[in-house]
Amino acid sequence: MVLVALAGMVVGYWANAAFFPGTSPQQPIDFSHKVHAGDNEIPCQYCHVQARRSVSAGVPSVNKCMGCHLEVATDRPQVRLLTNYWESGEPVPWIKVHDLPDFVHFTHKRHVAAGIECQTCHGAVESMDVVSREAPVKMGLCLACHRENEVEHGTDCWTCHK
Amino acid sequence: MSNVDRREFLKLVGAGGVGVGAGFMLAESAKHPLEHLIPYAVPPEEFSSGVATWYNSVCGMCPAGCGISVRTREGRAKKIEGNPSHPVSQGRLCALGQAGLQVLYNPDRLSSPLLLDGASGSFRPATWVEGVDKVAGALSSARNVVVLSRGIRGHLAQIFERFAGSLSSANLLQYDFAHEDALYVGNRESFGIDRLPYYDIANTRYLVSFGADYLNGWISPVHHSLGFGTSRQGGHDRGYFVQVEPRMSVSGASADRWVPANPGTEGLLALGIAQQIVAMGGYSGADRDAWTSTLAPYDIASVSQRTGVNDDIVRQIAEGFMHTRPGLAITGGAATRHVNGVNTAIAVNTLNYIAGNVGIEGGILFNPAAPLATTGEENRGAYESLANLVTHAENGSIDALLVYDTDPVFTMPADSGFREALEKIPFVASLSSFMDETTAMADVVLPSHTYLESWGDDVPEPGVGFSVGAVSQPVVAPLYNTQAVGDTLIAIAAHMGHSDAIPWASTEECIKDGWRQVHAQGGSGDFDAFWRSLLQAGVYGRNIRDTRAVSLDPTVVAGMDANEPTFSGNAATYPFTLHPYTSMRMHDGRGANLPWMLELPDAMTSVVYSSWVEINPVTAEELGVRQGDVVEISSEHGSVTAPVYVYPAIMPDVVAMPVGQGHSKLGRYAKNRGSNPLSIVAAQTDAKSGSLAWAATRVSVAPTGQRAKLVTMSGESRELGRNIVQTTGGAAGSAGHSAKLNSIPIKVEAV
Ligand code: SF4
Repeated sequence: MVLVALAGMVVGYWANAAFFPGTSPQQPIDFSHKVHAGDNEIPCQYCHVQARRSVSAGVPSVNKCMGCHLEVATDRPQVRLLTNYWESGEPVPWIKVHDLPDFVHFTHKRHVAAGIECQTCHGAVESMDVVSREAPVKMGLCLACHRENEVEHGTDCWTCHK
Repeated sequence: MSNVDRREFLKLVGAGGVGVGAGFMLAESAKHPLEHLIPYAVPPEEFSSGVATWYNSVCGMCPAGCGISVRTREGRAKKIEGNPSHPVSQGRLCALGQAGLQVLYNPDRLSSPLLLDGASGSFRPATWVEGVDKVAGALSSARNVVVLSRGIRGHLAQIFERFAGSLSSANLLQYDFAHEDALYVGNRESFGIDRLPYYDIANTRYLVSFGADYLNGWISPVHHSLGFGTSRQGGHDRGYFVQVEPRMSVSGASADRWVPANPGTEGLLALGIAQQIVAMGGYSGADRDAWTSTLAPYDIASVSQRTGVNDDIVRQIAEGFMHTRPGLAITGGAATRHVNGVNTAIAVNTLNYIAGNVGIEGGILFNPAAPLATTGEENRGAYESLANLVTHAENGSIDALLVYDTDPVFTMPADSGFREALEKIPFVASLSSFMDETTAMADVVLPSHTYLESWGDDVPEPGVGFSVGAVSQPVVAPLYNTQAVGDTLIAIAAHMGHSDAIPWASTEECIKDGWRQVHAQGGSGDFDAFWRSLLQAGVYGRNIRDTRAVSLDPTVVAGMDANEPTFSGNAATYPFTLHPYTSMRMHDGRGANLPWMLELPDAMTSVVYSSWVEINPVTAEELGVRQGDVVEISSEHGSVTAPVYVYPAIMPDVVAMPVGQGHSKLGRYAKNRGSNPLSIVAAQTDAKSGSLAWAATRVSVAPTGQRAKLVTMSGESRELGRNIVQTTGGAAGSAGHSAKLNSIPIKVEAV
């Protein structure tokens, strides 16, 4: 009976991971990276301006979005949602897709400066309507890349865990 | 499987189902919790997510006025450091200053206006409109109003003054428990100066401190600690430090010589040393003869007998002080909180004057006028003015009281009757940020921003020998529904129809306007550029010094023969002198609601989280008490209980208690923790300054039979042969070269 229960646990765990991966949460606005970064070829750092300057890439402020959307595609329902936020002066409560644990110190600035493509960690965002976590951003990925590029102190514990 | 019957089958299905469920939940719980990524709607100009922005401002945790640099990220203050260009703190900060973040983020901060609900006796949240309306209403019908606050420095003081001026009859009263009233009066009587001088500890070679714990909280601890370090290790002859006090403080422990003297006789000792210096020919002024006769009563035999300090020691200090140049004598703390506090201050000034330490580097330097038109010190009231307030409140002549950021219900002795008097005042409004003991008795609470959210400016006190002003600016947007105190006063005045009484629309404008005047007197460039660079620097100085020559007339000293300290309580019933002492951790009690300060071990006893009473080991044995025994400390005016801390460095007939804990209010961390020695001191004053003589109460100590676990960080304060505290002998070098050192050099130079 214990065996049956254990087997059940494995099935349950797998079912959760397979059908409810939680890697592409429902966002407050159905924003499509494919439309922006893919079809219209807007460079990543046009919106995520902080990536080259800061530890975090940052999400664009509402007024940045409105910079275009005061003029562009103003009649689309999802853009209307955005306009509502803007008019009420509220930020859009986006949900994080890519998130590292608090014990990992990661800085965008250094990686952008080293010429690492955004897609290396974030996947081919420009082809996704709904962004999901595709690349396995775990310690293995970091270490493999650090080793391959012979990063100085790249495999020291305190390089990332500090 | 043929033997699986129906019952067994159901069991298995059940177990499998539970397993699947458990597995599912396990996977669910292993998932990263949902986190948001919220941008600004419109980001501030200098904002960069993930990049820290630093702002210079002024520390508001004690009146020293250190400059701070606050690191903020995403609009939140993360860390406070010292502003390296501010001459008081020079990039350093004390622990209390660090804990400013815990004022800002304190869960017990008042987050909206409160109105007292008469029926239930408790507060209910209200809007600002309601609150201001209520206060304005009460003030318009009041005949006599008192505006009681902490010391307000800089241009904000002008808003207070104009607000009070707009009411028909209002008194401004500023009270800080730790304010050194006796020093101010002493300096005025000795030298005719109103501000504190600059005590140049950094450049002195011989410091005698009469009770001033300059390393742990006395008036400007960060600056004085820096000075101490420079004097000791600044690359010139090492300074020599003497500390005179009945109980060893942090400064006493750091001194070269600790001299226990009977409480309240510190001034006598200073005069005894001065007498010796004059007698040894160390004073050559024209009025030498007058000084000789003035100081004659303070001959070594009588001083030694009255102070309890061995005559050899008096002689040695006199010789050292006379021959080591420059020297400096300071006093403060419990020493100036006796009935002869001002006399002690004058005595120490005399010692400095006789030894030639006035107006020289490494001695006392006078502070020139500040660049700001106002310092705000003008409305300062000593304890006596609060005692007057009590009298007036009791005979019903005060109709309304406005209180801001001062907590006399906690710091005034129970004997003063302040609490009862407050109950008699028909209307009390508090503008404080926390529900302290005084605010808890208010009818309306209009909570103010903390210093990290407000505009202000400051003239550090004591100054640093040249002309300095500093600006404090908000480093974060207000966290709660609070208001800058100046803006609240402006709103109340406007609501009462006195909007022309205060010419500024906001505190920010008032401060800016003040600096326009500073700029007009010699700032460079246009004002906007000046203001920008001022805010960036956080501090503004002019190389102006006060080099006036002063003289001290012997008649000032001749007139103070009633030098003997007196104590409340007779020695038979109350055999011990209670020595309350303040520390940088708790200051006047404001540190008690900050967890960092509670868990920071006291520098001498290493006790955390509570109060204690320090008793000499001999006395403890006589009383039959051990460390951790709870004793009752009683004066004629009440009693408190505290666990015993057996402390070898205290005179046997003195018991010491730290000030700051024993709150009944002030939030979850402070409430009902420790005990407050101030509640049992006698309400007697030093007649010359009107300040409370809080170190002049006698007490008895009686075991209660209970024990308490004193949480200390050091298991045992004695060395027990472990050789963990290594010292050199008093006569340096006499141990010779044969002594074995256990130290390990970094490198040995080849000879
Ligand atoms: S000494 Fe006073 S002003 Fe200076 S850092 Fe400490 S609390 Fe702040």
